[in-house]
Amino acid sequence: MILANLQMISFKIALILCAVSTTGYLSSLLVKKVKLAKISTWILAAAFGFLTVKFLFVVIHSAWLFNPDSQDFLTFCAWAVCAVYLVLQFKTKTRVLGAFISPLILLFLIAAAGEEAGKSIRPQNLQSGLTTVHLFLTIFGEVLFVIASCAGLMFIMQNRLLKSKKLSGMSRLLPSLNDLDRINHMCLLWGFPILSVGIIAGVIFAELSWKTGWLTDPKIIWTFAAWMIYGFLLHQRLAIGWKGYRMALISGITFILLIVSYVGVKIYCPTLHNFI
Amino acid sequence: MIVLTGLNHKTAPLAVREKIFAGCQEKKDLLPALRSIGGVEEVLHLSTCNRVEVIASVAEDGNALKELSGFLARNGGLNRTEAKGCFYEYRGEDAVRHIFRVASSLDSMVMGEAQILGQVKDAYREALEQYATGVILNRLMHCSFRAAKRVRSETGIAVNPVSVSHAAVELAKKIFGTLTGKKILIIGAGEMAELTGTQLIEKGAQSIIVVNRSLAQAELLAEKFHGEAASLDALDKKLIEADVVISSTGASDFIVTADMIKKNHHQRKNRLLFLIDIAVPRDIEPAASELENVYLYNIDDLQDIVDENINNRKKEAIKAEKIIDEEVTRYMNWQKELESVPTIISLRNKAGEIVHAEMEKASGWLDNLTKEDQEKIEILVNSIVNKVLHSPVTVLKEESSDISSRDIVAAVRRLFRLD
Repeated sequence: MILANLQMISFKIALILCAVSTTGYLSSLLVKKVKLAKISTWILAAAFGFLTVKFLFVVIHSAWLFNPDSQDFLTFCAWAVCAVYLVLQFKTKTRVLGAFISPLILLFLIAAAGEEAGKSIRPQNLQSGLTTVHLFLTIFGEVLFVIASCAGLMFIMQNRLLKSKKLSGMSRLLPSLNDLDRINHMCLLWGFPILSVGIIAGVIFAELSWKTGWLTDPKIIWTFAAWMIYGFLLHQRLAIGWKGYRMALISGITFILLIVSYVGVKIYCPTLHNFI
Repeated sequence: MIVLTGLNHKTAPLAVREKIFAGCQEKKDLLPALRSIGGVEEVLHLSTCNRVEVIASVAEDGNALKELSGFLARNGGLNRTEAKGCFYEYRGEDAVRHIFRVASSLDSMVMGEAQILGQVKDAYREALEQYATGVILNRLMHCSFRAAKRVRSETGIAVNPVSVSHAAVELAKKIFGTLTGKKILIIGAGEMAELTGTQLIEKGAQSIIVVNRSLAQAELLAEKFHGEAASLDALDKKLIEADVVISSTGASDFIVTADMIKKNHHQRKNRLLFLIDIAVPRDIEPAASELENVYLYNIDDLQDIVDENINNRKKEAIKAEKIIDEEVTRYMNWQKELESVPTIISLRNKAGEIVHAEMEKASGWLDNLTKEDQEKIEILVNSIVNKVLHSPVTVLKEESSDISSRDIVAAVRRLFRLD
């Protein structure tokens, strides 16, 4: 009981910190001060710390990492985005990226707050180490793609400002084109193999335990499509030498298409992955 | 009283400034000579390429100011007609405001430039070393540094570049993030291209390639940067290597066409390309701007950025003037208090406060005594305090007519923490 309470408290603190940091990031865009974004980054790092503590409690509390049905799943997504973003942040010093990413983290956490917190009990049909690997890696893979696309969207904005020769406050605040391109590149480079392994783990698990019927699951098709597109992008980058604007544009468009189709799938199609 | 005289780019033509500047540089015992002028107690001398100024603390507003400017003019070898109208003179609060504005770079030719504060600091250091300054000017200079610091940190006066070459460097940073390892291609051997190239190298660019119609001239410039020279025929090939291209030839046609860049794009592996065209007529075909990952800025685009930044600085200058006003008021208040009478008053007040506070603390046991005893104790305490204060107050009163009292007053203010 105490553990459950501690979990809840650290989650709530993380949620509040994340909300503060998101506000900070967004207002740093408005008032055009990088310092505000800097402070927000530290607040977000603190939120990340509390989320990590929460997961430590979850792991101690229950036998499994998390139950896909519970609040923990969405919290884990938020945690993963946070982790990837913070690593990138300390590597590239492009703080304003946070203004695009932190609202996403906040959304995940708000959605998680709406769900019921429960003890993680591994459902009978998912009893395999493979599902843990699958969940962990697919989430991280998708998160990396999301960040690649965010960097792409920022690239498009900065590109437009530079082409129209408006060196306004906004352009000064956004990171340089090269940095944004590098983030896009790094995320694709890491995201693709991680997602690949994640999908393979899922496929093996499904083939072993469910045998048939899973291949036509809409969400699996959706994930597969995303994987294909990002694979294509990575190929174009590495083999053909695509760079800059084209990469940014296509990863941005892909991101929007995938979100739209995902929402469509969620509303209209029954699926085996009914927890997301 | 603080007085200031001097000339700057607004009041004196270059020829006059040169003479005065040279005169000040050559004269070895300039500060002692200035100090020997009647009435001058403390003095400081600032000379930069745009201004020569002398700030002094004088006993009374006599002829000191006239003599100081006369000295500068004579020292620079100017005759009366040449010197006429070149010198400005400020007294008291105006002089304080002027030196604060100078240190904060509000009076500079390029508003917000950073060098002036360093030059003012150097001038002050020199004066300190020669024992030419005292209480008044020391405080004045420290206050001017604080004003300058506040202006820099609280306003955006020094934020955005106001020269074409700096604007180009800032753009390069917006595109590439860091310039480390980037290759610069200079086409033509113009001065502007050279300046921009120098700044890019300073910011970490890896190497410079100079391309010119005449190979000999290209080599001459390339040598300066320890770069590589090539003739115009090799331009196509050099474009593949370059990340930043600065073009400033006198050619009447386009030297770099959009097709050329398009053709090279694949070989360049679609790397970002920053083109700076500072030639008139233009060297780079404007259509190049439409190409992906290519950013073309011509001289007008850069000038527009600079103009906008200058306007922004002017807006920020209004904020800066307010800061200056605050700091001037603060300094003038300090100076006023340096007179002995206010110091005596604040010394007495402070003693009174201490007595009051201590009596209050002791009221616990004092209340047990009879009214008569209480009064006796109060009288005793007050008389001790008065005795202790008697000699400092007498000295302050005696010295008040003398100018050297300032040192004593300043010492008293510091010893008793009256500021």
